[in-house]
Order: sequence, then structure tokens, then C-alpha cells
Amino acid sequence: MNFDFELIVRSFPLLLLGAGVTIQITALSVGFGLLIGMFVSLARLSKIKPLKLLATMYVDFIRGTPLLVQIFLIYFALPIVTGTRIDPFVAAITACSINSGAYVAEIFRAGIQSIDKGQMEAGRSLGMSWTQTMRFIILPQAFKRIIPPLGNEFIAMLKDSSLVSVIGFEELTRRGQLIIARTYGSFEIWLTVAFIYLIMTFTISRLVDFLERRYKIDDKH
Amino acid sequence: MISIRNLHKKFGKLHVLKNVSLDIAEQEVVVIIGPSGSGKSTLLRCINYLEEPSEGEIIVDGIPLNGEANINKVRAEVGMVFQRFNLFPHMTALANITLAPIQVRKMPQAEAEKIALDLLAKVGLSDKANNYPEQLSGGQQQRVAIARALAMKPKVMLFDEPTSALDPEMIKEVLDVMKALANEGMTMVVVTHEMGFAREVGDRVIFMDEGRIVEEGTPETIFTNAREERTQAFLSKIL
Repeated sequence: MNFDFELIVRSFPLLLLGAGVTIQITALSVGFGLLIGMFVSLARLSKIKPLKLLATMYVDFIRGTPLLVQIFLIYFALPIVTGTRIDPFVAAITACSINSGAYVAEIFRAGIQSIDKGQMEAGRSLGMSWTQTMRFIILPQAFKRIIPPLGNEFIAMLKDSSLVSVIGFEELTRRGQLIIARTYGSFEIWLTVAFIYLIMTFTISRLVDFLERRYKIDDKH
Repeated sequence: MISIRNLHKKFGKLHVLKNVSLDIAEQEVVVIIGPSGSGKSTLLRCINYLEEPSEGEIIVDGIPLNGEANINKVRAEVGMVFQRFNLFPHMTALANITLAPIQVRKMPQAEAEKIALDLLAKVGLSDKANNYPEQLSGGQQQRVAIARALAMKPKVMLFDEPTSALDPEMIKEVLDVMKALANEGMTMVVVTHEMGFAREVGDRVIFMDEGRIVEEGTPETIFTNAREERTQAFLSKIL
């Protein structure tokens, strides 16, 4: 076998562009996912039955079906209902955000439930509403505890975002496929693609470690 | 100040409070004693609706405990001190105290901080304003918790075994703060095993067992001249 190092060098800038797009999808999706997740987790913990049911159904549906199928549902199936085509970028971000939201909701819920219930009682006994107690007492404490699992979710999303290549969206994996289609350099390109993913996930996990340590020190004061 | 009528509380099949009625007057210090599982903490927690009564009526300072709005109103008037302090660990002592006045009473921060510093001085912790709970001893944490409750200017203070989680040498500093509070005329309901405190500070002692009020009276009567056999048996074991 012939290893074409030259091909890697030539393709690298293009792949890096793709990596940039991958980071973009991931950051936007987890960002929206955080927003969705926070509200869904609160809904799951609320005493309002229909809200709780709806949130539970959402989480169950998303976690119980493959992301790939969710992407197809949004990109191919939804336009049939609405009658308008969806831009691949919008479809990718939407599918990944909705997906991430469900996982983040579970992370939040676990974080919130890990806070001693005496904290909620103390807040309520001072006359604060449930919302005020959540906002000022429970959530700030829960946030610190959910940094590690959120980091894992970010890494998982970064890898899973490769799935949006199937709707022709040009992130890292899709770029790789396109280059291979032109050059037949499967081995070189997939190896490079894998390496770029590894660099990205490794960087994020170190970043999360750093944050985790910082907050641990913060806790002590 | 507090009126409790025919209160029942059930946890599933467990009948914890059985037809409890009780009136507490303004400035009265009522001490509730009894074996563990007798329902005394549950009774206390019903007064600010941390436990939802299964049956019966509770009126605090003229406000019946029903509906979210009324419950929050009553809670703002009723301070509570917990066995395990429940300070907010991510906030300094000062922030612990100012949070509710700022959020619930909409008090300006400067005013809330002034009140908080006065209260910290009162509980003997002026120098701990900027410390986090973790940096304080148990007794100090409990005194901050008392200051936190007082910052809402409550009309009633509830104490749920406030010294049970403390090392022996720290019990006195907390009891002293409570004594001072009683002397100022605060209406207080105290669940405790500190019989010395009950005798010295209590206006009335209530003995509970198996979800019922068995006997009540002045500390003098209860401790030296209890009518009921169960009260005598309980007291003989702990005095």
C-alpha cells in the first residue's frame, strides 16, 4: 500500500474548514440544548401534571430513537407536512439541539435532585417561591455539579454531529467523504478525519477537567 | 397568633398526627417534647406548610394556610430553624441573610445588609459576615441560620431540634441566642430534647406521643408533677 502524505497536506485546510463547521454545529446545538434542557428538566420536576407528562414524553422519545432517524424526520419528513424545504444547516442544528436538549435535561434533573432537599425547604421557609428558590439557591449549586456530565455531552454531540453528513451538510465527515470521492484516498483521509476529531474531543475533555478543578477549589473558598 | 384545629397528617398509611389542636399566643414560648416518631417535628413543619396537612385547619396571624399566595405570605412571617442548619453553601453568611429580604420583601441591598450586620452582631458573629458556611463551626452555622430567619422580621420562630446536630460544647451558644430572643418577646415554638432550656425559657411545655398531644402545662407542672403515666415514663428516662 502506498501512503500518500502529500494528499493529507493538500486536503488538510479543507478538512479544517469542516472541523470549524463541526465545532459550530456542536456549540450551537449544545447551547440550544442547554436552554431546552433547563426548561424541560424543570418541567419534569414540576408538580403540574400535563407539563411533566409532556417533558417526560419528549425525553423518552429522543432518547429512545436514533439521532440519524431524528435528522431524517426533520430534513425529509417535516417538509412533507409543512410543504417547504428546510436548509440543511437549519435542519442539522434543529435535530441536534432537540436531541441534545433531552440528554441535557436528564443531566440537569440529576444535578438538581442531587441538591439536599433541606435547601429547597430553607428557601421556601423564608417565603421565597419555588421559582425564586430554584433560581437563587438550587440551580447555582446544581450547575457546579453538572459540569463534568455536560462536558461528556458536548463530546458526545461533537462526535454524533458527524451524522448530519447524510443530509449533505458539509462538516468534517462530509468534507472527508467529498475529498475521498475525488481522490480515492480513503485510508489517508479517514485517518486524518479521525485524528482531527480526537484532537477536538481531547481538548474539550482537558478543558472540562480544568473547569471541574477550578470549581472544586471555588467550593472551598 | 397560631391556631391549629383538628390537624391530621398521614404519610401513606402512617398516621403521624392524630387530631391535634393547639393555640399559641403572641409572645408565648412553647416547647414541644416527646420521643422520636411522636410527630413533634411534623407538627412544627405543618405550621409553615413544609408538610401539607391531610386534614384540619391552621391559621397563622389571621391568615388561613391555604392557596399558594397565603402560604408564601405566612412563610414570610414565620421563621424556621432546622436541625441541619440548611445554610446556602454557595453564599457568604451575609448573603445567606440578605437573600430573602431582598427577593421577598424587595428591600434595597444596602438596607438588607445593614440589618444583616446588626443581626450577625446580635448572634455574636460580626466578624464572620464574609465567611462561607463551610468555614464556620456547627454552632456558628446555626446562629447564622437564626439570623437568616430573623432578617425577615418574622412574627413567629419555629425551631426544629436546633441543637441536635451540634457538638455538646456548641449547644450553649445556640441556646443563649434563643434565650435572648425569648426574652425580647418573640413568639417561639421549639421542638427540642434540651430539658434545661424547656424548663428555663418555656412558658408552656407540650408532651407528644404517637401523634397526639398527651399533656401540656407549665414547665413546673410537667417536669415535677406530670399527670399522665406516659409523660412520667418519658421524663424518667431523660431527666
